[in-house]
Amino acid sequence: MARLRKEDTATRGRFHKDFLVGIIAAFLLFSATFMTVRAADSALSEADKGCLSCHSSEGLKKDLANGETLALHVQGEAFAKSVHKAIGCAGCHGDVDLKNHPAAQDNIKSLRQYAIERAAACRQCHEDAFKQHEGSLHAARVSQGNPLAPVCTGCHGSHSVSPKTAYETCVNCHSAALGAHRKWLPNAGLHHEVVSCAACHAPAALRMIDLRLYDSAAKGWVSEKEGSPLFEKLARSMDADGNGLDAAELRNLLREINRDAIAAPRTLRGRVELRTGVEAHRLSDKTQAIKACDNCHSDGAEPFRNITVSITGPDGRPVRYRARKEVLSSVLSVESLREFYAIGGTRNKFLDVLFVLALFGGIAVPVGHMTVKWLFRKYLKRGEGR
Amino acid sequence: MQRIYVHPLPVRIWHWINAVGFVAMIATGIQIRYVDLVGLMSFRSAVNLHDWIGFVLIGNFFVWLLFYLFSDRIKVYHPELSPVKHFRGSFRQLQYYGYGIFKGDPNPHHVSAYHKFNPLQSMTYQIIMLLLVPLQFVTGILLWDVKGFSAAVEFFGGVRVVDTVHVLCFIFFVGFIFIHPYLASLAHTPTAHFKAMFTGYEEVEDQPVGAPPE
Repeated sequence: MARLRKEDTATRGRFHKDFLVGIIAAFLLFSATFMTVRAADSALSEADKGCLSCHSSEGLKKDLANGETLALHVQGEAFAKSVHKAIGCAGCHGDVDLKNHPAAQDNIKSLRQYAIERAAACRQCHEDAFKQHEGSLHAARVSQGNPLAPVCTGCHGSHSVSPKTAYETCVNCHSAALGAHRKWLPNAGLHHEVVSCAACHAPAALRMIDLRLYDSAAKGWVSEKEGSPLFEKLARSMDADGNGLDAAELRNLLREINRDAIAAPRTLRGRVELRTGVEAHRLSDKTQAIKACDNCHSDGAEPFRNITVSITGPDGRPVRYRARKEVLSSVLSVESLREFYAIGGTRNKFLDVLFVLALFGGIAVPVGHMTVKWLFRKYLKRGEGR
Repeated sequence: MQRIYVHPLPVRIWHWINAVGFVAMIATGIQIRYVDLVGLMSFRSAVNLHDWIGFVLIGNFFVWLLFYLFSDRIKVYHPELSPVKHFRGSFRQLQYYGYGIFKGDPNPHHVSAYHKFNPLQSMTYQIIMLLLVPLQFVTGILLWDVKGFSAAVEFFGGVRVVDTVHVLCFIFFVGFIFIHPYLASLAHTPTAHFKAMFTGYEEVEDQPVGAPPE
């Protein structure tokens, strides 16, 4: 209780000029909804706690003139875990003036109009993504007035933006995508698991293979512990020549990672991803999406020229280290990359040599035998005569 | 020259479906694996054909298996239990193919209804039919639906391990598909064994041993 009073004092001290905010804050400090703020205390700044002292209140809302309701409730814990925690509330809501907040009047006409206008806040930092998005199918649908077309918050959420795969993002709306792909794409479920949606639906983007560390025993991605970034250090120590991990170095890295493992070993699972997440915003109409299999399933295909080995970082974002493209086709990869294989694209060179030997051997044996028979034909006739 | 019934109808049906199927599987397999080098058909068509023919061949395998399991002809697959006899016979057969055949020596193996394979064939077909073909089918099914069979794929060591086994078997069959018909052409006439695999009757010079009355 003493701690609560102290924080209450601190809050009021910060906003002592704003009587209204102070009163509301003091009230909410003793309400049940304050539990949410308290849980996120250690992560959030004092200013953000100030905002959340009102906005963590469940049911806080604004009735718009068109009859819609704008939810003003923000989940403090979710925000504390989001990638935007560092910039705080003011990072996106810098236009809020505490002297007249909440404003007696505002010009929010509809939820849709508000969501579209708020995209400008995203643009402040994400100008590159915004430009990519401008040429996308989603942007075209927004400008056509399609009410279902997503703006930034439609895909990324608002106050709980966290790293997640494109698939997790896309299926929120495109829930029928898997069924639609099953009609024409062999192994559609597997493709959805190992190929980022944008890898095909942003056809102009450059792609790569990300080999992520997976825990077979725990059935999940391996995460780096907060405050002890070992993965990159270990990868760097294995990469003796500093030009990316080759097949032997990658094998040694995995052996080192699994050195103390007593359960199922940690393995690498590959995914086709975009080289920069920014380009994932340049989504095209599905008629433009990549459908030709040999875009990936052929030797030297574009995605297989850039390889990274990664681990999920403490914040959910990948920590990546570069690997050489030869790791995908090396004979050593049968051990180190046993859970990643793409027909044609990652084929083993050693098996290619064996195939050529079998092909030529299969032809050479009959041809050679026939030749010897022909050369010894006079002995053959003598033998048959006997 | 005497005619003896060596290849019963189910075996002949199985054999020719298997022969055509394996050639098609190798062709589509090469197309799938080397799409950047081979242009017989699209990758997707090759995958679809490979899948369908694969299932036909798996069904066909059971024609072979069930026939032999419920027929006394299974004796042709009984292994020679004496290693000395087996390796002596294999050596004689190798000596014939590598030397005697060039001099016009007679084939040391005498075909009969219950003893149609020479020692080399006997060993080779036991390995092929009881190990390599089932291995090819099992790995093929796992690769057909990697996600659906993810537990089995993981059990066998991961998708790359399963694929490597599948490709190693494929490489063996690529060599086999050339050598097998050539060896079949080394009868008393080049087409004799081929005709026998259509009619069921082999032409033999000696009195067959242990052949049932036709």
